Amino acid sequence: MSNQSLEATVEPADVQSWIDAIGREPSAAVPLLQAIQGAYGYLPRKAMDLVIANTDVNASQLYGVATFYAQFRLKPVGRHLIKVCHGTACHVLGADRLNTSLNHILGITDEEEDTAANGSYTVEDVACIGCCSLAPVMLIGEEAFPNLSGADAQRSLKKHARKVKEVLPGHEEMQNEAKAKKAAKVQEVRA
Amino acid sequence: MSYKSDTKILFKNIDRDDSHKLAVYQGNGGYQAVLKAYGMQPVEVIDEVKRGGVRGRGGAGFPAGLKWSFIPKDDPRPKYLVCNADEGEPGTCKDRDIIRYDPHLLIEGMAIAAYSVNATRGYIYIRGEFYREAEVLQGAIDEAYAAGILGDNCHGKGIRFDLAVHRGAGAYVCGEETGLIESLEGKKGQPRLKPPFPANIGLYGCPTVINNVETLASVPDIIANGGDWYAGLGVENSSGTKLFSVSGHVNKPGNYEVELGIPMKMLLEEYAGGVRGGWDNLKGVIPGGCSMPVLTADICETVTMDYDALAKSGSYLGSGAVIVMDKSVCIVKAIRRLSQFYRHESCGQCSPCREGTGWISKIMDRLESGKGTPDDIDLLLNVCDNIQGKTICALGDAAAMPVRGAIQAFREEFEYHVEHGRCMVG
Ligand SMILES: Cc1cc2nc3c(=O)[nH]c(=O)nc-3n(C[C@H](O)[C@H](O)[C@H](O)COP(=O)(O)O)c2cc1C
Ligand code: FES
Repeated sequence: MSNQSLEATVEPADVQSWIDAIGREPSAAVPLLQAIQGAYGYLPRKAMDLVIANTDVNASQLYGVATFYAQFRLKPVGRHLIKVCHGTACHVLGADRLNTSLNHILGITDEEEDTAANGSYTVEDVACIGCCSLAPVMLIGEEAFPNLSGADAQRSLKKHARKVKEVLPGHEEMQNEAKAKKAAKVQEVRA
Repeated sequence: MSYKSDTKILFKNIDRDDSHKLAVYQGNGGYQAVLKAYGMQPVEVIDEVKRGGVRGRGGAGFPAGLKWSFIPKDDPRPKYLVCNADEGEPGTCKDRDIIRYDPHLLIEGMAIAAYSVNATRGYIYIRGEFYREAEVLQGAIDEAYAAGILGDNCHGKGIRFDLAVHRGAGAYVCGEETGLIESLEGKKGQPRLKPPFPANIGLYGCPTVINNVETLASVPDIIANGGDWYAGLGVENSSGTKLFSVSGHVNKPGNYEVELGIPMKMLLEEYAGGVRGGWDNLKGVIPGGCSMPVLTADICETVTMDYDALAKSGSYLGSGAVIVMDKSVCIVKAIRRLSQFYRHESCGQCSPCREGTGWISKIMDRLESGKGTPDDIDLLLNVCDNIQGKTICALGDAAAMPVRGAIQAFREEFEYHVEHGRCMVG
C-alpha cells in the first residue's frame, strides 16, 4: 500500500523554531529529531534537509542517528501508533494474541503490512516498555493499556477510535459479518 | 509477614498524596541529607557510601562508593554525573516508579553524589517511552531550581549543581553506560571500548560517574542514617533494600521493596500473591531481567535473593526483574522471542555479537517451528561460546546467557522440539 496521502507538509519556519529552541551543536541531533517526529509522526525528507542546512549536524550524523534509534521513522505512519510489547513478561502472558486481535479489527491481513488501509493506525512490535507488572501491555500514542486480553485490546482500540474519530476498517467488516450471520440464522429459523 | 524488617528507603514516600511534590518531600525530611553532606568533606561522603556497601542496581552490581572514588581529584576538567534511567531490560519497571512517585529522592541522591565527586553538571538519561515520567521529573527539577536547591548556589552554600533531563530514543544498547554517553553526545549509541573507563574519560572526554536511578535514590538515606545503618540491612555482600519488579505468572505482579537476601519463595508467595495456580505450577523464574539465566522450580524453592546466592545457583541478581513462568510457558518459544530482541538491538560494532545474535535467532526460529536438527542445540551453545566475553560491551553476554541457561535447565524441551517437531507444552 502506498502511504502517499500521509506525507506531511513541512513549514520551514517550524523547523527553524525548533533549531532555535534546542540548539545547533552536534549533541542537539536527537532532541531535534524528536521534535520533528513529534510534530509529523515521522521524519520528512524536507525537515531533515533543513536541519542539515541550518545546524552543525551533518547529513551522515543525522541519518546515522535517525536509523540507529528505534523511535525514528523515515516513512509516514498511520495517524496513530500502537506499540505492542513483546518483552519477556508480556510474552509469557500472551502478547501474541494482542497482535492477532488488533490486526483483525484493523483489517490488516498481509503479514508484511503494519498500517491499516485507511491510514488510521500502525501496529508496531516493541520490546519492554517498562510496565512489566501490568503485562501484557500496549501503548496507543502515549497512553498505556495494561493487563490486556485480545478482546480487551480490541475494546480499548474501539474506544480510542471513537474518541479521535477514526474508522477501524476491520471493525466494519466484523460487524457486517456478524450481521450477515444473524440474518442467515433468522432465515434458517424461518425456513 | 515481612522479611526481617519493613524498612523502606526507596518507597518510603510512595503512598503519600502528591508524593512527587517538593513540599511533600520536604515535609517528610527531604533535602536534609544533602545539607548534612554539604557539611562533610567530599571524601567523607564517599567513605560513608562505601561503608554502606550499596552496589549498583543497574545490573552489574559494582559498589557505588568505590566507583565514585575513581574520579580524579586534582584534575582541571569539569566532572559530570549521569543518571541511567534508560530502564530497558525487559522485565524491569522499578526506576519508573521512583521517578514517578519520588523524583526529589533521586534529585537529592544526585546532588549528594555530585558533591562527593565535585561534579557541577548532571544529566538524567530517561528512556523515550517514559513520557509522563519525563514530565514529572522536569517538574521536580523546576521546583528544585525555584527553591534554590539546584543551580549555582545550592542551598545558599556556594555549591554549583545543574541538572537536565535527556530523553532517549529507543535503543536497548544505550542503557550500557558508554553507549549512553555516546548517545548523550548526540551520536549513535555504540558502546566504547573500556578502558579508559568513564571515571577518567567519559562524557565529552571528562571524568564521569554513571549510576542507575535506584542506586542514586538509595544515597540520601545512607547519608542521613549512616553507612553502618545501611550495611545492617540485607545480608553480607548484599546490603540494603532492593526493588524487585515481579512480573509474569503471579497473582499480584508489582514492584516490592525488601531487604536483600529474602528467600525467593517468600518474595513470590507472600509479597507477589503467589504463583498462578499454586507453587507446584511453577516452571522457572528469571531472577534478574531477561538477560539472566532462568532458574528451575527446585532451585527457586530454596534460593535467596542476593548477589552471592543467585550467582552460586547459576544466575544473577541483575536489575532485580523477577519474571515468573508457570507450566504453560514454552521455553523454546520464549527464548526465540528474546533472541529476536537481541538480534535487533545489537549495535553491530562487534562481529561476534552482530553475527552471533543473528545466528541464534535463526536457529531458534528453526527449532521452534519444528525444523531443527539434533545438532542445533549444541550449535547454539557453540555460538554462545563465541559471543560471550568477546565483545566490546556486555550486550553480547546478555544475548548468550539466557540461551545457555535455558538449554542447561530445560534441554529436554529443546530436544522434544527437534524430535517431535512441536512443543511439549501444547
Ligand atoms: C546492554 C546493556 C544494557 C544496559 N541497560 C541498563 C539500563 O537500562 N539501566 C541501567 O541502569 N543500567 C543498564 N546497564 C548497566 C550499565 O552499563 C551500568 O552498569 C550502570 O548504569 C551503572 O550504574 P550502577 O552501578 O548504579 O548500576 C546496561 C548494560 C548493558 C550491557
Ligand atoms: S515486558 Fe512488556 S512492559 Fe516490560
